[in-house]
Amino acid sequence: MKAFHTFCVVLLVFGSVSEAKFDDFEDEEDIVEYDDNDFAEFEDVMEDSVTESPQRVIITEDDEDETTVELEGQDENQEGDFEDADTQEGDTESEPYDDEEFEGYEDKPDTSSSKNKDPITIVDVPAHLQNSWESYYLEILMVTGLLAYIMNYIIGKNKNSRLAQAWFNTHRELLESNFTLVGDDGTNKEATSTGKLNQENEHIYNLWCSGRVCCEGMLIQLRFLKRQDLLNVLARMMRPVSDQVQIKVTMNDEDMDTYVFAVGTRKALVRLQKEMQDLSEFCSDKPKSGAKYGLPDSLAILSEMGEVTDGMMDTKMVHFLTHYADKIESVHFSDQFSGPKIMQEEGQPLKLPDTKRTLLFTFNGNTYPKDMEALLPLMNMVIYSIDKAKKFRLNREGKQKADKNRARVEENFLKLTHVQRQEAAQSRREEKKRAEKERIMNEEDPEKQRRLEEAALRREQKKLEKKQMKMKQIKVKAM
Amino acid sequence: MSTNNMSDPRRPNKVLRYKPPPSECNPALDDPTPDYMNLLGMIFSMCGLMLKWCAWVAVYCSFISFANSRSSEDTKQMMSSFMLSISAVVMSYLQNPQPMTPPW
Repeated sequence: MKAFHTFCVVLLVFGSVSEAKFDDFEDEEDIVEYDDNDFAEFEDVMEDSVTESPQRVIITEDDEDETTVELEGQDENQEGDFEDADTQEGDTESEPYDDEEFEGYEDKPDTSSSKNKDPITIVDVPAHLQNSWESYYLEILMVTGLLAYIMNYIIGKNKNSRLAQAWFNTHRELLESNFTLVGDDGTNKEATSTGKLNQENEHIYNLWCSGRVCCEGMLIQLRFLKRQDLLNVLARMMRPVSDQVQIKVTMNDEDMDTYVFAVGTRKALVRLQKEMQDLSEFCSDKPKSGAKYGLPDSLAILSEMGEVTDGMMDTKMVHFLTHYADKIESVHFSDQFSGPKIMQEEGQPLKLPDTKRTLLFTFNGNTYPKDMEALLPLMNMVIYSIDKAKKFRLNREGKQKADKNRARVEENFLKLTHVQRQEAAQSRREEKKRAEKERIMNEEDPEKQRRLEEAALRREQKKLEKKQMKMKQIKVKAM
Repeated sequence: MSTNNMSDPRRPNKVLRYKPPPSECNPALDDPTPDYMNLLGMIFSMCGLMLKWCAWVAVYCSFISFANSRSSEDTKQMMSSFMLSISAVVMSYLQNPQPMTPPW
């Protein structure tokens, strides 16, 4: 009987230890609820007290078959209470907790209390960590800029194309009545008129006309503003520039006399005088006013000699220049035209550049296609100038002066390049010698080799003798 | 007949074909903008792998080069420059998807 009683007690002790984790043990129903919930113990602890201290389970036995479990909140004297935890059998109080279980536990209550006291502050998430479209505003700006550039490209390209077409439609009749070939890109087998402009790029259009008296051909270049490039459009807001029509008429040698003449705006003439080879060599004086001939103050004249100016400035030409002065940038007639000055790295070029008898016209264009008809009289002026250039001839004095000028320019050029030409000739001679020596060395037949060497020696001796003769002659002349 | 010939300045027997002027003769007249922009675009594309704004500038350079190019120019070079700049932008964002920060 006593053994059975002891066994029951032990069983109950073990059962109550497992129940010690539960919260409220007043009812059996509560025990069932919290059976599986290990953390239920802590829920009620939060309501009752701030601390999360674990609770001590005290088992009391009143009767043989009944046991009640009381829960007590633990204080700081935990360790003292746990000393008796090992002695459980038959004891009214059981303390199953380890000393070390709650080490460092004092810190936790302090930190949790401080946390609850601090107010919650909402910090803004930095922009680079946000996931919204707004943070990509720079990228959106870039793409918008690109789209604006593309739109401007399409609009600018179309405008230039319309202006070119309008110009050509206005001038087609006049050109076709003066030239056999109007429009040629040089690729067709036969010389037939294409009847359209050649597009060099989005702002430059070319037209080649040929088959007329006096001239070999006429190249018209429509140089529009770079409306397709947004950067250029913005730059033009600072510095206004206008479209240009450049006409280059290549005259036949027999249809133009020898003179250099230019008329245009002062600014354009100063620039041309610096840039162009022929104007800088033959018209070294500053641009003169054309008021003497009835020209407006905006226009100036550069001329090789007075006779040319008098001959060129006839009534009709003056009429053209006066009425369309705002459209005229420059008019340049020259038999020594070779383009702009070429700057070479070695210094002067070794020979004079090729020249052509040329009439050059630069006109300012219109911004609107419907105003292209205003440029038609300028084309009439070009045609008139071609015929005039054929008719105009210098008198004897003028011709002599012109020839003297050309000879002077050539002599100056030769003097400047004398040293370079000498060096070039010397290097050519050395190269020839070296090539001959190599030929002799490479000759396999010894007989032939000997003969070649003898011939080379004889040639050298002859040269030396010639030189000596020349020196003697010079000495005799000097004496 | 003779009056017609006299008044008509056209001469079919004097037709000359168009010869495009060689660019070596007039280097000053040739616009160097497309070549410079092409080169700048390639340099900025290389730098774009390190800095995002460089990649965007490279795209702009290739667009400007295209807008200023001549008809006779090789389209392959234009396209390669354009593709290089686009790939620089894409690669810089793949490497670092964060938005671009202004340099100021």
